[in-house]
Amino acid sequence: MTRATATRLLVERLTREVVVSNLGQATLDLQRLGDRPLNCYTFGSMGQCSSIGLGLALARPDVRVICLDGDGSLLMNLGSLCTIATLRLHNYALVVWDNEVHMTTGGQPTATAFRSSLAAIARGAGIEKVLEPAGEAELQQAYDRVLGEDGPFVVNVKVEKGRAEGKLDRDVIRHKLRFMTALAALPAP
Amino acid sequence: MADPSWGKHVADVLRRNGIRLFATVPDYIVSQALEHLWADPECTVVTACREEEGLGILSGAYLGGRRGALLMQNSGLGNCVNTLGSLNVASQIPVVLVISHRGDLGEFNPAQVPVGQAAERILDALDIRHVMPRSIADLEAQADGLVKLAYTRSLPVAFLLPPELTGGKLG
Repeated sequence: MTRATATRLLVERLTREVVVSNLGQATLDLQRLGDRPLNCYTFGSMGQCSSIGLGLALARPDVRVICLDGDGSLLMNLGSLCTIATLRLHNYALVVWDNEVHMTTGGQPTATAFRSSLAAIARGAGIEKVLEPAGEAELQQAYDRVLGEDGPFVVNVKVEKGRAEGKLDRDVIRHKLRFMTALAALPAP
Repeated sequence: MADPSWGKHVADVLRRNGIRLFATVPDYIVSQALEHLWADPECTVVTACREEEGLGILSGAYLGGRRGALLMQNSGLGNCVNTLGSLNVASQIPVVLVISHRGDLGEFNPAQVPVGQAAERILDALDIRHVMPRSIADLEAQADGLVKLAYTRSLPVAFLLPPELTGGKLG
């Protein structure tokens, strides 16, 4: 499965969820396939995508927050998994596009290409709902749970190596203000 | 001799400026402010595994409408440099940094000195406005203004807490 396919299957189902995307490939796919005001794009601070989403989930318990992270980035901030487990926020989900490489920098292998499993690390951190969907049908089932059940969730999705198409729109202040305005205006359900 | 009520003053300054969410990697010194926040049922304190993770959490919370402060040692400031620059400064996301200043007057641990001595210059290099109150009166005179500036300017600000204020840590 490609990351673009997995992204498209998610954005088709979004309603009032916040989506936080990791710098590089995840943000580019999300901009191209499902740009919307409730997307919180990140462009730097590698590793912080999962933490930014956690802060959003803490600030807005009435809104479901879904982070789209990468294996290379999450490996930079593994402690985040422990904090996710400790806070145990019902409205938080971390989806990891695990392509086993640093794609943006040319495809150098990460630790998940060898012996490390982010799903096992997440379980070891104390997260109960850790999913490893294989194929589109299982991914749809994982999305059903993430969008319908209390979290926190970690969903590790093995995706093909490949660069996202298109070009990033890096107007960071405009994106931030659009996101903050949309979220502030979003009423409690 | 430091006045031991400094920790409560720091906690009060943050709370009266609308901050109820805190992240920390604690040290001996900032713990004396944190104890007042832990004890306050209106406050949420998240213990992060690494300081920049706390910064990510507080930045997300700000985007969701909540003000936040990060309490840490200046070694944590060293751990935060890239996130401060590439997230908070680049995206104009304000946060209040409360930093115990180790590695200066009276320091006993050589490992604390280099980053302690660099702390002000690190903040200056990132264009982060900071104050170093040396007494409670000094803290009270500057604190509200500094926090206000963070949200006016939409950028981080920092309190560097020196041993003259806190009593430091005795080795």
